[in-house]
Amino acid sequence: MSYYLVQTLNALSFSVLLMLTGLGLSLVLSLMNFVNLTHGSFFLLGGYVAIHWIGAGAPWWLAFPAAFVIAGTVGLVLDRFPFGRFYPRTHLMQVLLTYGLSVIFADLMRWGFGADTMSLPTPELLRGVVFVAGLPFPIYRLFIIASGGALAFGLWYAIDCTLWGAAIRACVIDRGIVETLGLNTRRIFTVGLVIAAGLGGLGGALGAGMLSAYPGLDEEVLLLALLVVVVGGLGSFGGTVLSALLLGFVTTFSRAWLPEFANFLSLGIMAAVLVIWPSGLVVRKMRQV
Amino acid sequence: MTSTSITRRQLLAATAASALGLGLTRPVRAAGGETPIKIALITSLSGPFAALGESMRAGLELLILESGGKMGGRRVTLLVEDDQGKPDEAVRKVRKLLSQDKVDILCGVISAAVALAIRDIVTDAKALTFISIAAANGLAREAASPYIFRPTKTSWMLGHTGALWTYDKIAKEGGLTLGSDYAAGREYVGDFMTTYRQQGGKLGQQLWTPLGTADFAPIVMNLAALSPAFVYAFFPGADAVRFLQQVRDFKLQDKIRVIGPGALFDQEDVLPAAGDAGMGGINTYHQSPGAPASAEFAALYQKVRNRLPGEASTSAYATGQVIRAGIEAVAGDIAQKDKLKERLLSAPVSTALGPMRFDSRNNQAILDIYVNEVRRGQDGKPFNTVVHTYPAIQDPGPKA
Amino acid sequence: MSPRFDAPRVAVKRRLGDKIALVLVLVLALAPLMSGDGFSLRFGAEILLIGTAVMSLNLLIGGGGLVSLGHAAVFGAAGYSAAVAAGSLGAQLPLMLLIGIAAGMLIAGIMGLVTLRSSGLFFLVLTLVVGQMVWELAFRWREITGGADGLRGFPKLALGSLRLDTPLALYLVAAGIALIGWAVTRSFQQAPIGQALAGVRDQPIRMGALGYQVGRIRVTAFLVAGAVAGAAGAIYPFVNQYIGPNSVHWSMSAALIIMAVIGGVGSLYGGYLGALVYLFVQTEVSSYTDRWQLVIGLIFVATVILMPNGIAHWLGQRGVRGGRT
Repeated sequence: MSYYLVQTLNALSFSVLLMLTGLGLSLVLSLMNFVNLTHGSFFLLGGYVAIHWIGAGAPWWLAFPAAFVIAGTVGLVLDRFPFGRFYPRTHLMQVLLTYGLSVIFADLMRWGFGADTMSLPTPELLRGVVFVAGLPFPIYRLFIIASGGALAFGLWYAIDCTLWGAAIRACVIDRGIVETLGLNTRRIFTVGLVIAAGLGGLGGALGAGMLSAYPGLDEEVLLLALLVVVVGGLGSFGGTVLSALLLGFVTTFSRAWLPEFANFLSLGIMAAVLVIWPSGLVVRKMRQV
Repeated sequence: MTSTSITRRQLLAATAASALGLGLTRPVRAAGGETPIKIALITSLSGPFAALGESMRAGLELLILESGGKMGGRRVTLLVEDDQGKPDEAVRKVRKLLSQDKVDILCGVISAAVALAIRDIVTDAKALTFISIAAANGLAREAASPYIFRPTKTSWMLGHTGALWTYDKIAKEGGLTLGSDYAAGREYVGDFMTTYRQQGGKLGQQLWTPLGTADFAPIVMNLAALSPAFVYAFFPGADAVRFLQQVRDFKLQDKIRVIGPGALFDQEDVLPAAGDAGMGGINTYHQSPGAPASAEFAALYQKVRNRLPGEASTSAYATGQVIRAGIEAVAGDIAQKDKLKERLLSAPVSTALGPMRFDSRNNQAILDIYVNEVRRGQDGKPFNTVVHTYPAIQDPGPKA
Repeated sequence: MSPRFDAPRVAVKRRLGDKIALVLVLVLALAPLMSGDGFSLRFGAEILLIGTAVMSLNLLIGGGGLVSLGHAAVFGAAGYSAAVAAGSLGAQLPLMLLIGIAAGMLIAGIMGLVTLRSSGLFFLVLTLVVGQMVWELAFRWREITGGADGLRGFPKLALGSLRLDTPLALYLVAAGIALIGWAVTRSFQQAPIGQALAGVRDQPIRMGALGYQVGRIRVTAFLVAGAVAGAAGAIYPFVNQYIGPNSVHWSMSAALIIMAVIGGVGSLYGGYLGALVYLFVQTEVSSYTDRWQLVIGLIFVATVILMPNGIAHWLGQRGVRGGRT
């Protein structure tokens, strides 16, 4: 029984990690209708920032805001050029642009940070384990579950319960009308992208403790994030959470029971979901063009 | 609007055509004067093995620098090609190197898949090739080639010695194996299992995980529940770091002995990132930073790159030494391939991996295999310390 | 600027543009033949085969608005099937083509059926997932596919007793396949079903209302694309006497899409130009600089940014049509 409890906690921590990776992507996709495949690069950048920050001896709890700020700044620059021109373009164009940029960023980061695998020097406070029914469970994973959950809640609140969230959602549906209300939609999109980029970096910083940082992680994370966000359904944040839980649990338990087929099984289940629900798990009614 | 589509496509095609034309032209040889010996290093500078690739390049460059850029009296130029960790690309590169760049010697190769993919091409072209890292057993057995030398280990050499040590010193039963489910993982674990059982040991489950596992927690949990006497494990690169860290995170580091081939605890590739999570690990390797044979190289490498060398750099350096010995034997006349081969097969070459003899059946090196235990080094950081040496381990080779 | 008013001028310029591209492709295709260098011929054969796969992908993307991130699985599966069959049945050219086409159609057909109800980003991700499942199979089914090491040591290509493994022979075979693939793709695009596919791309609901069986049209498109890619894929292992799981990986699918975009989506010859530029940069530029991926990324991004708005009109997927699109 305790074994299942700990495996459930494992699954939960992996699910939260997946959700963290998908947060920023979900934000831009659901709210701004922009497919951002550079998301993986932000994640990796955040990881590197956190590792170097803590490694340099600076206070560890500032590493995460630092990752957010730095990734957000890169997002700001990208928003000026060239993302800004691509917001109204088709998904395919956005995919192509952001994929090409992610290739560029991957190479730049390999150039700047080197090819070695780097791991996060976990701060003292977060090391160690708690014993759950006799089996050890790392405190860092509890930290991830807690902070990931808090972030998700905060984001949901911001999007669903504040005016700013409403303004962003309105921009996607009908940008023209929002302009007539006197709101600067260009600035709203910029803010949205900066926050999404920052979230990507923050996710990477938090995830670095579990995944480390190395060239190639950006691609792996992007794949997972894309899977989670798309299967969850566009236009809905709750869907992302749901599919993160699905993928996290399926992966964890298949790895525990059938390790060799874990990947194939996870992929198969995600494919089955997309076949049964072609628009994802949670579908928000969008106007048919 | 659409008029630009013609211009753009034209422009692209024109650029491509001129670039292709440039690429097809071969460089003009200087009239008269001495042509240098061309050595090509096939390494991974991008893709999953990028870190190892960089180390490999550094090691070989160091050797060439030390030799003053000359071997056997002739100048040596090094061409470095990136195989991107993909056998398809490696094959293309090798063909290009042989037919366009007309290199004299090929060396390097990290991935076993790449080594096997290029085996036929270099054999057909009769090009001398020195494999520096790839450990595939096949190359020493059914896929051996008269033109491929391997101044490094086979998976068998490490799995076999690992089993000998484990049986003698760790436990005769109650252990498990855990490996990355791909060719290298299967070979290491398979060879370990065969020898361990031959010795009389009893093994529990064999666990396998897909390559690129992000979260080892479910498996580590299984290990915690099973409480084995030891785990013989193999993961490459980043997976190794994550595995070791997660074993530590779950407070199992002191409870379960982790044993593996040297790559799991590589001094340069894994230990710096894994840190204390690597302490206490046992591994069998043909390389050890503290071994007397590589002391000189280790000191040099540390001065240049500010870190202790792992397998990649040491093997590359040793490969350079082997190539140099061969070239010196023919006094720079590369065309005399048979004489070069004879030199390598007849007498050992003194390298950073110890005195290296080659098996005449398959051109495979016969090496001392060290048993390393990761202890705290002089600077307080984890250090592979030699606790035993298995001398002159020879791969069984092609079944006669 | 509505397409209707521009129709005659656009059509003329498009025909002219295609003709110029055709001439360029022919000139480039003849270059390796003239130099006679073994490496160029083999490289050229690879470019032709991959270019054919890109052309079949263009059938889906440009013709049908179906951006598949799993097309490498179709191409590579055909290659694997041919190599495995060669091991036991010998590497006769007609047999290899037959097996490759069958395998390609099978995988593509499965993809088409699975994605019947998906569109846009969901379609992209679903094809990605299915393609990766094929990769997992190739990677794990060690006894048949050789796993991570891939397949080597299978017989060399032949036609009857005529050996086809010289660079020149391989190049001519690849060129022949490219030619036939082009003919098939072109006739598909101009046939009623190809036009119907274009209709499905632009106005799926209207097509359904008009009585067209949208599902059947999509699956047919997949089958045709699969057959063309399968034919090319069948010969691919014989160029280097090697095939590995990398040829079915999603990164290869992404590379195919990049090649399609660089060459110009919707253009039949674009696939070959795109394949040439991409493979050339990957193989030649990486010899001169470590930063070759940066170069490819920059070329690609530049292509995407400077792309004329006309292409965006063609694809007609979701997007705001107001303002400067």
